[in-house]
Amino acid sequence: MAMQRTILEKAEPVAEGAVSLLLRGTDGPLAPWEPGAHIDLALPNWLTRQYSLCGDPADLDTYRVAVRHDRLSRGGSEYIHLFLDEGHTLDVSVPRNNFPLLPAPEYLFLAGGIGITPILPMLTAAVEAGSSATLVYTGRSLATMPFADELRAAYGSRVRIHATERHGRPDFAAEAAALGARTLVYCCGPTPMLEAAEAAFPTQQLHIEHFRPTAKKFAPNEPFDVHCARSQRTVRVGAEDSMLDALNHAGFRIPSGCREGVCGSCEITLVDGEPEHRDDIGAPPGRMYCCVSRALSSGLTVDL
Amino acid sequence: MTSHDQLTTITHASPQARPRRISYAEVRARIGEPEDMIKRKVRDRLDRHARRFIAHSPFLAMATSDATGLPDSSPRGDYPGFVKVLDERTLAIPDRPGNQLADSFRNLAENDGIGLMFVVPGMREVLRVNGRAYPTDEPDVLARMRTEGKEAELAIVVELTEIFFHCGRALIRSRLWDPASQALAGELPSIGEIAADQFGLDADPRALTDMLEDDYRHLY
Repeated sequence: MAMQRTILEKAEPVAEGAVSLLLRGTDGPLAPWEPGAHIDLALPNWLTRQYSLCGDPADLDTYRVAVRHDRLSRGGSEYIHLFLDEGHTLDVSVPRNNFPLLPAPEYLFLAGGIGITPILPMLTAAVEAGSSATLVYTGRSLATMPFADELRAAYGSRVRIHATERHGRPDFAAEAAALGARTLVYCCGPTPMLEAAEAAFPTQQLHIEHFRPTAKKFAPNEPFDVHCARSQRTVRVGAEDSMLDALNHAGFRIPSGCREGVCGSCEITLVDGEPEHRDDIGAPPGRMYCCVSRALSSGLTVDL
Repeated sequence: MTSHDQLTTITHASPQARPRRISYAEVRARIGEPEDMIKRKVRDRLDRHARRFIAHSPFLAMATSDATGLPDSSPRGDYPGFVKVLDERTLAIPDRPGNQLADSFRNLAENDGIGLMFVVPGMREVLRVNGRAYPTDEPDVLARMRTEGKEAELAIVVELTEIFFHCGRALIRSRLWDPASQALAGELPSIGEIAADQFGLDADPRALTDMLEDDYRHLY
């Protein structure tokens, strides 16, 4: 994977338990990005974590991300909050976008807590494009909500802050009832909020980004063969193996990030066969994420 | 048996004789008393330095003992910070798939004393932690150990009573972090050769090594 060297120029709190990181490219301009994009951040403790870009897409000297210290951190957000010092060099990936902003005359943005990060540049882009845009921003309390003040200052009544501690959860059913036929809904936040949005809004108008894999059940893993069309090789994926590990063990160098089907860095091109998509990105036709996805047919043919 | 396997005794005169045993008082007389500062280095809780050390340590040696006091030492390793800090006096060590002997768990059931030695590659000083330990399946603890989509099935909770940094002389003398030291591994037989000998297997050692390598692919 193409990595870019950056230096952590500034780490500052943006809410209770949330810190923003300003990363400056050390080798000239950074790769460009569109609202909704995320980067992989390679941490000194060997973990790679994905964070949505929440800065200004026009600024290619720096990237900005914001990170919530997860109470059940496995070592990513905890490391960033407790041990990552300003001035440290960090490698980041080229931005990837699984959550692109499609053109529309009107948008409804739904953000929950740290889920504001991809929404922030989306809202800016929508307003700059002259679209009508509303943000319903939910959090436990105002103090825990990153960028709440700057959003209200910049966008006034277009931003509706919703503190669940005082007002309970926002009424998505009412939002859906008032939704224009050509309005697109973009939602990023904790799992219960994503589920509420999925229940309330029409599928074809709703775009969602997952931070965490959703709970899913699949039939027990079966071994299968991967035919690699370009190299004329066949790789066996055992029941205990991931397709990603089997391919890498066979000498293919497939990049990987989250290894749980949310980041999209291990995307490969499918030529033939019936895949079992287990990711939370929603693989486009002819693509699959081999860290979690497997085969429904006895074999798959891929472009490797 | 090849001639290499004849273990010859060269350190003492006859096979019956053992190296002589000396008392603790004699030992103390030889090595002297530690300085005050050395005595004061032992703490009863984590400070920021110890916490940072643990967050960067991918490896530790874990000592437990059975009811009779017979000790056992077991390696534990994963990405740096795999041992989680629950609070300033409590750690949690994930239990990943191993050989299923569960020696450490059996020991802890009989004797809850535990000794840990944390190592950070490239760092000559090590961090030592002693305390009491017990197994847990607490979901919030296991959730923090999820790796590659898999949770640890069990964890060991360590309530520490002593924590201190240990000086770097042993690691300096051992040249442990000198990349040239890795040539030593080349002087050893492969694990397949060792297994073939120890189990008396009539198998190709290279095939045994390959089998083990294949097994090593499933780390979680």
